[in-house]
Amino acid sequence: MDHDLALFLDLSAHLTGFDVVELQGTGMAETYLNAAAMGIPKEWRAFLDRAAMVLREGGGDAARTHALIARELFPKALFGGLAQNITFMWYSGQWAPTVDASGADLATVTNISAQAYVQGLMWTAAHAHPPGAKQPGFASWAQLPVSVR
Amino acid sequence: MSNRLHEFDVVIVGSGIAGAVLARTLTQAGKSVLMLEAGLQSGMAFDPEAAYANYQSYLQTFYEKANKATNGPYPDLPDAPSPDVLEIKPSTPYDTGYLVQMGPQPFASDCLRAPGGTTLHWLGNVPRMLPNDFRLKSRYGHGVDWPIDYETLQPYYELAEFEIGVSGDVAAQVGPDMGPQNYGTGYVFPMRQIPQSYQDQVWMRNAGPAQLEVEGRSYTLGFASMPQGRNSEPNPDYPYGAIHWNAGLRRFELAPSKHIYRVVGSVWSPYTGERCEGNAACVPMCPVQAKYNALKTLSRADHDRLTIRTQSVASRVLVDAATQEVSGIEVKTYRNPDDPSHGLHVVTGRIYVLAAGALENAKLLLASGKVANSSDQVGRNLMDHLVMLTWGLFDDEKVYSYRGPGCTTYIPTFRDGEFRSEFSAWISPLDNWGWSWPTFAPGTDVSDAIGQGLFGRDLRHRIGDVVPRQALLHFEVEQLPQASNRVTIDPRYVDALGNPRPVIHYDVSDYERKAFAAAKCASDQILCKARITDHTLYKPTDANHVTWKGRGYTFWGAGHIVGTHRMGSDARTSVVKPTQQSWDHPNLYLVGCGSMPTVGTSNPTLTMTALSFMAAQDILCKLDAPLR
Repeated sequence: MDHDLALFLDLSAHLTGFDVVELQGTGMAETYLNAAAMGIPKEWRAFLDRAAMVLREGGGDAARTHALIARELFPKALFGGLAQNITFMWYSGQWAPTVDASGADLATVTNISAQAYVQGLMWTAAHAHPPGAKQPGFASWAQLPVSVR
Repeated sequence: MSNRLHEFDVVIVGSGIAGAVLARTLTQAGKSVLMLEAGLQSGMAFDPEAAYANYQSYLQTFYEKANKATNGPYPDLPDAPSPDVLEIKPSTPYDTGYLVQMGPQPFASDCLRAPGGTTLHWLGNVPRMLPNDFRLKSRYGHGVDWPIDYETLQPYYELAEFEIGVSGDVAAQVGPDMGPQNYGTGYVFPMRQIPQSYQDQVWMRNAGPAQLEVEGRSYTLGFASMPQGRNSEPNPDYPYGAIHWNAGLRRFELAPSKHIYRVVGSVWSPYTGERCEGNAACVPMCPVQAKYNALKTLSRADHDRLTIRTQSVASRVLVDAATQEVSGIEVKTYRNPDDPSHGLHVVTGRIYVLAAGALENAKLLLASGKVANSSDQVGRNLMDHLVMLTWGLFDDEKVYSYRGPGCTTYIPTFRDGEFRSEFSAWISPLDNWGWSWPTFAPGTDVSDAIGQGLFGRDLRHRIGDVVPRQALLHFEVEQLPQASNRVTIDPRYVDALGNPRPVIHYDVSDYERKAFAAAKCASDQILCKARITDHTLYKPTDANHVTWKGRGYTFWGAGHIVGTHRMGSDARTSVVKPTQQSWDHPNLYLVGCGSMPTVGTSNPTLTMTALSFMAAQDILCKLDAPLR
């Protein structure tokens, strides 16, 4: 796997609370890597370098890595807010700086792609599904979701 | 260019449910019909491949757009624009959208100008109106009475429930002024009820027997499953298989069938959409067409007798000054919806039906000079349900919102009662889709959590904890007819084809504002009993924020656009007869929600569909007899 992509997935797992296999299962990793790189290009390389350092320093210890990310990557003021935008992207399928831009026209502003909407992790986290996709079947709504049964 | 095309028995403007019911019934009774539709040809596809491809293009647009508003998936046409709820602004007047909003309140609802009309994005709730809704004036001293009563409409409700394909439980329709007597002995819906959601079951368990005190009166809270125009399982006790025109008795009849009710699937395949699949996206679109839309009716018209012209925008109704009969409809046809160049034609028939929706029907009549308007009521009495929303979080258990159809259960308790002499009645659907309507959740929950510094497992746990506990309750408040709430036209405001845009004056009366206060009082008690902590927030900066006795309330539109050519028993105060024939022009019918004198507390589509059958019946009688 491409080094940047592997790093991006590793970092994304820490940012989203979904493991790498779950993230790969969305099929969105490369699209999102590109969206992040193009989203804030002047911060991108420095951000990836810092991410690599943080993950190395974390040494596979989840709590320690989390604390390092919280301090060195996640604050909105760092790297143009890349870490928060990447997290939101995985959850919603949207690149927030585009969708929330002042003057963005609600009637026309788009998700990163149709698949990005469908693969939004917020629906999985909520034990639901994206409206209009991944439909769980007749009468499923009358019972507990499969993910908590 | 010829200014005269074909002669037809009936010319219908609009392919929404009212127009579709007329086209189907009239062609099946042997009449020739020309249907004009302002929207795109691609949306009128009935061969399976093209119908599927077009509908998938809507779905793709729905997925792509960040905002999931009602008209989002569908083409926006400069040559035939639709209103859009995304255009609504708090401060009036403004004319930045299709509707020219003169205020003081902006009109809060939209509709869709496309093949199939607004049934493409409707939710599909189809409760009947109540008997007392038809006598609001004589019973409670407000609004007007209808010129017909519930009993008169009842057989037409049965036709409408067949045509739409209603899933529901008649025995569950119990509440004030509502019970088995409203349906008649042994009546069942074509399909069994859509299962009530897991969330509904928690609401009912927690709050089912609650006693409420509202404005000095006591109420016992009730819940009922919502009848829906959405496929479930056929009810083997439902006896009917078709609607027939009985030429001898001059009426439509439901014909018994030896076979079980045949579920109507999607337009492109009978094996898609045979049952709701739980897409939880009914508004703005059901991906599998398990939800009824008018294209299903239109596809089953007799197409040997039906001519459909799309991209054809009716621009004027022409009247013969000597006979006062309509002599034709002027139509502007466009090739490219972005290009204002167009052809101009006149189409003719024996009878003309405007079925373009309450806004467009009124606009078209007003643009035609003094057509059908001796009463001066055209465009007036514009109504909607004023939807006050309250929302909160279940305290101690997850209900797993965002699953199933938008509404599977409603509270009928405040649909009727003596309080209607003081304030509006309302229906309260329980909403299965969390806070998505008022707060754009769950995306906002994610951005809020991230803004608080949450990421990783903490973020996933937060979303998994909060979103499944979200509860949303509607209070769909009956709006009274007011002459001053109206659609007008103004030569300064036209669309790309030069057709007028609707200019709207709109406000909310004290009768309705008082209902907001009463509804909030009821909500406080219901949420408490249901063990839901209220998170409702109405801001003075909201669009449609109104005050009553010093407190502020925000309402939203229901998309129930009603009243602009109301029926009545007196030509001086109404636009159409109960049959929806114009008082002024014997060969003109105005059908759709515009004919409703009041809106009651029912989603209006079912009632409007019943009225469309009534109009079709009258038209068939008139076509076979001298027009009078």
